[in-house]
Amino acid sequence: MTQLMPKDLREMYRLMLMSRIYTDRALQLFNEGRLPTGLHPSAGQEAIGVGACYGLRREDWVIPSLRTTECFWTRGVTMQQMMDAMYGNKDSVNRGKESFHHSGYPSLGILAGTAIVAAHIPVAVGAAKAMQLKGTDNVMLCFFGDGAAARGDFHEGLNLAAVHKAPVVFICENNLHFQTAPASVEMAITDIADRAAGYGFPGVIVDGQDVLAVHETTQEAISRARQGKGPTLIEAKTYRFRRHYPILAETRPVEEIAEWSKRDPVTILGDYLLANAHMNVSEKQELETSIIIELDSVVTRAEAKQAADKSAASSTVYAEEES
Amino acid sequence: MKTLTYGEAIREALFEEMASDDRVLVFGEDVAGYGGLDGVTQGLQKKFGTERVFDTPISESGFAGMAVGAALMGMRPVAEMQFSGLLTVPLDQIVNSAAKARYVHDGAMSCPLVIRSVTYPAGNAYMGQSLEAWVAHVPGLKVVTPSTPIDAKGLLLTSIRDPDPVVFFEHKSLYSNEGLVPEEAYSIPIGEASLARTGSDVTIVAWLNMVPAALDAAKELALEGIDLEVIDLRTLIPLDEEAITRSVSKTGRLVIAQEAVTRAGFGAEVIAVVANSDVVHHLKAPVERVGNPGVPIPHSDRLNNHIIPSKDDLIAGVRAVLSS
Repeated sequence: MTQLMPKDLREMYRLMLMSRIYTDRALQLFNEGRLPTGLHPSAGQEAIGVGACYGLRREDWVIPSLRTTECFWTRGVTMQQMMDAMYGNKDSVNRGKESFHHSGYPSLGILAGTAIVAAHIPVAVGAAKAMQLKGTDNVMLCFFGDGAAARGDFHEGLNLAAVHKAPVVFICENNLHFQTAPASVEMAITDIADRAAGYGFPGVIVDGQDVLAVHETTQEAISRARQGKGPTLIEAKTYRFRRHYPILAETRPVEEIAEWSKRDPVTILGDYLLANAHMNVSEKQELETSIIIELDSVVTRAEAKQAADKSAASSTVYAEEES
Repeated sequence: MKTLTYGEAIREALFEEMASDDRVLVFGEDVAGYGGLDGVTQGLQKKFGTERVFDTPISESGFAGMAVGAALMGMRPVAEMQFSGLLTVPLDQIVNSAAKARYVHDGAMSCPLVIRSVTYPAGNAYMGQSLEAWVAHVPGLKVVTPSTPIDAKGLLLTSIRDPDPVVFFEHKSLYSNEGLVPEEAYSIPIGEASLARTGSDVTIVAWLNMVPAALDAAKELALEGIDLEVIDLRTLIPLDEEAITRSVSKTGRLVIAQEAVTRAGFGAEVIAVVANSDVVHHLKAPVERVGNPGVPIPHSDRLNNHIIPSKDDLIAGVRAVLSS
């Protein structure tokens, strides 16, 4: 396992802070009626995607959940690319054919999941199986929420991964609520990680607000996978700081929201950096300012760009039709 | 040429393609150790090993999803659904994960997989369903339905090499049918129908096991001087529209022969091809659809023979279009 250096910690912080600022700006644009797509905001859960994806090899792959925006940032997607995707611009990743969170960036090792929750879990297993068959020690990171763990594809996928000792790490972002309902309606157990035992591989619980803990736990699972020891299920306990989707009402208890807001993953890492003198107050402020300034121009450019033309809509259904 | 059964021809295609392309994988229920319920995959695991040929648990959605993931990573998986009625279970993986993969990646990814789906309209109301119309409806999928050994082999080879996901229907009742197959390497393009019989009075459009049924009907009706033309679609998607319109413009009479339920079945699409073209003016009689009248497949053979279309039903269909 590569030891994280102060520059790595600063970069993780930059990614998490950028994700928070970006997400809240996108929400604001949506609420103002400017952004033509809604989003499932990741605020509060930034430590998971950043901690898990940080330090992956270029040849490794990830499939994000609908909320793991951090997978994109950490693998190298820029704010401009993301905003262009949200606006469905002509030069965006898939020219408006799919939402930003179900977009794939093959050159960055990101596969698109589908909108069918958990369907990407067996897909991730098959992709990992292919990596294994090719004789590589590359890995697949598969992200999903607690809601996905109730679907058959979760169970079939985990079982198949175990049978094949597939080099895949399952990362469940358990934010204690699925859409509008609490976890108690989706399962009668407390810890999704317990389910791994039923398939014969380790299930690990990690503090999803602590990026360093997420990173360390994922690195152990990745190391197991690279050594041919098979999958791991990581359950990151976390909380989303915004509503499930901007137009849906808040259904969670105010006390619970208040309690979890004390454990803001961006603040936790920021305080750690300050306390250990890896960053000073003015550097922290400069970083935030620079992200905001860059984002301003990203939005301006994204809004000025054209949509893809009509021919894009019907292209690439089959191989022959590629334009 | 050599004589092979339909089942042997499919097996030969799998052997040849696995030998020439190490990206090809074969998996599904009972395909490896046992060699497939009908022996179609027999010997594959022994020859190509447990990594490339493996049995799966009863997890149709799971292993169809695995096929998608492996295909996206550059492999050429061939996954078997041992009864076509089972397609209802992995349908999401086929319809969403596989069919849309190229589109949502804007052409940057391919999903070259084959789902072999074994049709058998007997046994029970579930496994016995003919569901080719369900997948034919989905953009991004190709649908292949061979009726002869030569086509089964040639089209399976093409399907495995195709850059897009293919649902390949086989028919259990055809497995033991014999036919001539070239000794040398060959393949058959997806999207071309074949003229199974040339005739002048009535066109029958058929696929899978309804092709031999149509040829039997033609033989019997020939004794009465009725000359049937039989179009074997071979591929439903893409559909060879020209083969249909060319024949109907000649005969002016059309009978659809399908084992599936007629309502919203693939035959309706064939009729739409005619209705949408100038050939519609050549029709001398209303079109007949011969197929399942819209009931689940009964378990007992003594019942289901009233439901599953036969040669005699086809003959009745032909007489109907000739009588008006």
